[in-house]
Formats: sequence, C-alpha cells, structure tokens
Amino acid sequence: MNAILHAQQLTKHYPGSIALDHVDFTANAGQSIAIIGPSGSGKTTLLHCLAGILRPDAGAITLNTPSSPLRLDTLGDAALSRLRREEFGFVFQQGMLLPELTALENVALALMLNGTDRTISENRAAEWLAALGLAGMEQRRLGELSGGQVQRVAIARAQVTGARVVFADEPTGALDSATSNEVLDVLLHSVAANGRTLLVVTHDPNVAARCERVVELRDGRIVADTGNSMSASNLPAQAGQAPSSQAAPGTQAASNFKGAYNV
Amino acid sequence: MSSLSMALRLTPYLARSNGSSFREAGLRDAGLPILAFGTVTALLLTVAGGSQVFWSWSDDIAGTYQALAVVAMVLLIIPLLTLGASAARLAARRRDDRLASLRLLGANSATVVWMTVIESTVLAAVGAVAGAGLYACVAPFLGLIQFRGQAIGSHAWLSVPSILGCVLAVCVLAAASAALGLRKVVVTPLGVRTRQTADGAHWVRGLVAAVVVVVGVVAMGMLSSFGAFIVIIAVMGGCFGLALLALNLMGPWILRLRASSQLKHAKKPEQLLAARTVLESPKESWRQVGGVAMTSFVGVFVGVGMAVADTMGTSGDAEATLLVRDINTGVMITLLGSFLMVACSAGVNQAAAVLDRASTLVALDRVGMPQKLMVAARVKAVMSPLFLVAGISAAAAAALVLPLTGAVLLTQPVVFLTIGGVFAAGFLLVRLAVAAGTAQISQVLARPERYANMDS
Repeated sequence: MNAILHAQQLTKHYPGSIALDHVDFTANAGQSIAIIGPSGSGKTTLLHCLAGILRPDAGAITLNTPSSPLRLDTLGDAALSRLRREEFGFVFQQGMLLPELTALENVALALMLNGTDRTISENRAAEWLAALGLAGMEQRRLGELSGGQVQRVAIARAQVTGARVVFADEPTGALDSATSNEVLDVLLHSVAANGRTLLVVTHDPNVAARCERVVELRDGRIVADTGNSMSASNLPAQAGQAPSSQAAPGTQAASNFKGAYNV
Repeated sequence: MSSLSMALRLTPYLARSNGSSFREAGLRDAGLPILAFGTVTALLLTVAGGSQVFWSWSDDIAGTYQALAVVAMVLLIIPLLTLGASAARLAARRRDDRLASLRLLGANSATVVWMTVIESTVLAAVGAVAGAGLYACVAPFLGLIQFRGQAIGSHAWLSVPSILGCVLAVCVLAAASAALGLRKVVVTPLGVRTRQTADGAHWVRGLVAAVVVVVGVVAMGMLSSFGAFIVIIAVMGGCFGLALLALNLMGPWILRLRASSQLKHAKKPEQLLAARTVLESPKESWRQVGGVAMTSFVGVFVGVGMAVADTMGTSGDAEATLLVRDINTGVMITLLGSFLMVACSAGVNQAAAVLDRASTLVALDRVGMPQKLMVAARVKAVMSPLFLVAGISAAAAAALVLPLTGAVLLTQPVVFLTIGGVFAAGFLLVRLAVAAGTAQISQVLARPERYANMDS
C-alpha cells in the first residue's frame, strides 16, 4: 500500500502540557484509520496537525500528491487553506456547515470555492446528496434536518471536491446509537467506494471497531497501533520520496508545490 | 414569585461564570451593549437638552424655532429609539443560546424571562449611567452653541430629575425589549437552540409603510388647513415620525426581496453567502444599514433647510439673517447627531455580527475557505443593500417635503450637494464599521481556540 500522509517526530505543546510527543505516523492510501484515546491524549491535535489546521512545534508532515510530495509544515497560511479546500475533506461533530444555507448549497459551496461554476456545482452536489440518501431534501436548511441527515450533508460536502483524505472528528458524537450506525455506514462506504483515506478521531469503540486500523494515543504518544506492520523507516518506494530528503524546503519539488498551492 | 427568586439566584451565578472568561467573552457579552446604551443615553440627553432651549422662549418668533425644533427632534428621536432597541436586542441576544439550554435543562419559562430582563436591565443601567456622565461632560460645550445671536449657555442643561427620568426610560426600554425578544426562546427552546427559525419579513410591512407615506404626503399637503399653529406642528412632526417608523417597518421587507433576487443570480461563493446572510435575518441586516436610511431621510430635510435659508438670506432683514444662521446651525447639529447614531449603531452591529458568527468563521477557515472570501461576503452583505435603502428613504423624504416647499426648492444645487454629501458620509461610516468588523475576522481566526472547542 502507498503512504499518503506521513508524520515524523511531531511535537506540539500547549501552555503547561504536551499534546504530541515526538509522534511518528503514516496513513496509507485508501485506509480507514481510527484514532482513539482518553480526553486530552492528543488525538484531535494529531488530526488537526495532519490536516494542516494546526502547525506542529516540531516535526515534519508530508502529503504524497500524484506529482510529488508536499511538506505541510513548511507551507504558508494561504497555501494550507487551499490545500484543505482541495485535497482534504472534513466531517466534524458539529458546526462545519453553514446554518443559513440549504443542504444543496452547503455541498455545492465546497466546489464553488474551488472555482467550479454554480450550476455544475449544484448538480454534482445533488448527485452526492442523492447517493447518501438525501434526495428530495436539497432545499432544506440545516435546522430542518435531523442530526443524522446533517452529518450526511457534511459527508457529501467532505467528498464532493474529490478530496483524497477525509478527516472526521467524533462524526457520530452527537447522535443516538441507531443514527450513529447509519451515519458511520454512509461514511465508511462512501469513503471506501471512492478510494479515499479516512482518519477518524473517536471515543466510540463501535466506530473504532469498524475501521481497518486503530491507533491509540495516551499522553501525546502512540501506545498501540493495529496497523503498525510498516514503520516509517521501511516505507515503500513512493513514500521514500517523501519526508526529509527530496521534499525538504528549498528543493525543486517542494518549491513547485509551494508555488502550486500559493494563493 | 418563586421563578423571580430563582432568577435572582441564577443570574449572578451565570454572570460570575461569564466573568471568569471576561477577556474572551467580555466585549461580546457586556461591552457592546453597555457601549450602545451609553451612547443612546448621552445622545438622548443632548437632544432633550438642546430642544429645551427653544421651549424656554415666548416671543413672536419663538413659534418658528419651536416648529423647527420639533422637526429636528423627531428626526433624531426615531433613529435614537431604533438604536436603543438594537442595543437592547444585543443585550438579550447574547444569552439566547445559554437560556435556551437552561430551558432544555428544565428551568421554567418565567425564570428564563426574568433572568434575561434582569441581565439586560443591569447592562442598560450601567450604560445609561455612563451615558449620563458623558452628557455631563459634554453639556458645558453644548452651551457654547449660539442661537439668536447668543450662546445658549445653561439653558441646554437638563435638571437632575430629567436626567434620572431618561436613565430610567432607557432601562425600561431595555427590559421591555428583552422580554419581547425572549418570547421565542421560551416558546421554542429547541428551535432557537438549533437556529431553526428564519426571520420573516412579510409583504404586509411594505403595504403598511406605503399607506403611512401616502397619508403623510396628503396630511402635509393639507397642513395649512389645520388652523392652530400647535396643531400644524403636531401634524408635521407626526408625519415625519410616522414616515421614519414606516421606513423602519418596510426596510427588512425590501432587503429580503432584493436578497432573494440576488440569491437566484449569485455565481460566486461570496455572492451566495452574502444573499443568504441577508435572507437568514433581514431584520438584522436592516439594523446594519438602517442608520444610513435614517440619515438619508434627514439629509433631504437638511438640504431643503439650507435652500430655504438661502432664499431667506437675501431679504436683508436682521431678524431673518439671524434665523437663517440658526437654521443652518440647527440642521448641522441634526445631521451631526444622526451621523453619530449611524456610526454607533453600525459599529456595534458589525462587531456583534462578526462575534456572533465566530465559531462558524473558525469552522469555515478549517475547511479551507479563504479569509478574503469571508471578508468579501461580509462586506457585500452589508454594502449591497445600502444604496437601495438610502435611495428609497431619500425619495420618501422628498415626497413628504414636496407639498411644503414645492419642486423649485427641491431642485436647488445646494439640496443635491447636501444630499450627495450626506450619502457619501453615511456610506463611509458604514464602510468603516464593516472594515472594523472584518478586521475582527482576522482576530477571531488568529485565536480560534477561543471560539471553537478543541480537545487536546
């Protein structure tokens, strides 16, 4: 399997505490990975660092794109913002959708932000909503949908742009168990069907049990990893292009990418 | 009474829990409403003090001054009340979420209403007392203004009971507004909690407003037939006041119509977002631009006042010359007052709008929406309706003033210049307020942990 996202010696401090303590982590393309651990173990911080939302204090994060590897930790704010828009999708517990927009507009907006025409965006958004069981609800505002339906909208929005990695933070945290299972089905199936990588932070053992790989954090360190057959040191050829050597700041490949993502 | 005593016990508790994170939430929860109430009170006292001067005269020409004073007062009082109501709503709205949660937890509706009324009244009282202090500082300078060739001096100072009366009135306004605004939270805790309800802006508003303006125009046309001078003044003041209220009523409905059409034709994300922002709450959007509608309305009167002064100024009569100078002074003060209100209301509403949406902005940033696009949407949502409302209100004012002055006066260059100047200044003020609000977007995004929950 190919590594798509690779973190090396990630460290992140908050005042008075260490959230990530020299974490090495590799996500393979097409894999579904659950990140579990008690509150304060650093799992959301890890997710935010990998997604380019937070900057680590130290360490390297590399995204393998089809052309060449990209070092997230060296990108500027605008480039990171564009990366999150184009390469990543997000399904968080709440608040990631706009309450004043309809379901259709929320999904279409993700495409419109990338410069897609509104009509094309809305058509694609409608296809995604229909595929996730929301046909006929396109024109409803978020307040008129149930919690499970809102999360389906978020799942559609996360993938409509063709994002290669989907980050989910407690996606079923606010739902009852039956709805939770439905939403999880939709998330896992749609991500797998489209060959995307899923990283999901969760407290829920049922969610973790349904992912291909489970990574457990405690006090900012990875203490268990069911998919750790492949450590950072023996990554396959493509991942070998990645971390510190070729993609280091100043190399041609890195500057090409930074150019491409600079807004 | 048990719900009142429960409210009295809970309110300080919530205020304390808020106090612990004062630096984060202080500006949002208490600072803005206090600032708004303070400005409202200071302006209210200034207007009341100024007009008191004219009623202290009793000679022949006093009637003319009093008539003009009534016009100026009405032009200032209605926007002032609007700003006051906006401040009150701001004070109450801060707590919508928390109160809806309390209601979900089982607090009964009376307790929730009492808590909000107590909180809003306390904020209003603090602001009003500060505003009275501000007035006390400003009053000596007001005394320097000259009318009829001499400084008005201490005539513009209000008595202590009058000041206390104003402070009390501001508090009552805040309490009433909080109680009314909270009804929806009490009725549908879940609805507000999830922001299910979209503000309506019914076409009936437009109809009522149109009828009011027509009645006003007819009444103005028949003004001389009313006989007694005091009745004429009352009718004139009433017409202006009603027209301003009508504008206030009609504004949200017009904004909704326009935003619906913009939504259909939106091609870019910021156009879509701006139109939806207005549609989500046409009333809130109106509060952000309504001030300029008011100044445009005032601007027409100011322009006409200047034109009247121009034509009278050529007569050479000493008393007339003095009157001309006083009319000019009066219109400038009215204009200045209304711009102060626009600045205050635009600033307060912009800050509130951005802070209210802080968590959404953080979320949008996380999913990769560029900050400049958030700024563009915000600017568009406010500036786009501005031209429309300013134009409509100027037209309404012109319709009212036409029967009084005739078309000749309305087409004087000085009228056009004044109205143009008023428009430009109004736009600039609102644009500055929007700029201050959008600058806050950067601040919100620079410290996202204040506005979004982040597990470590």
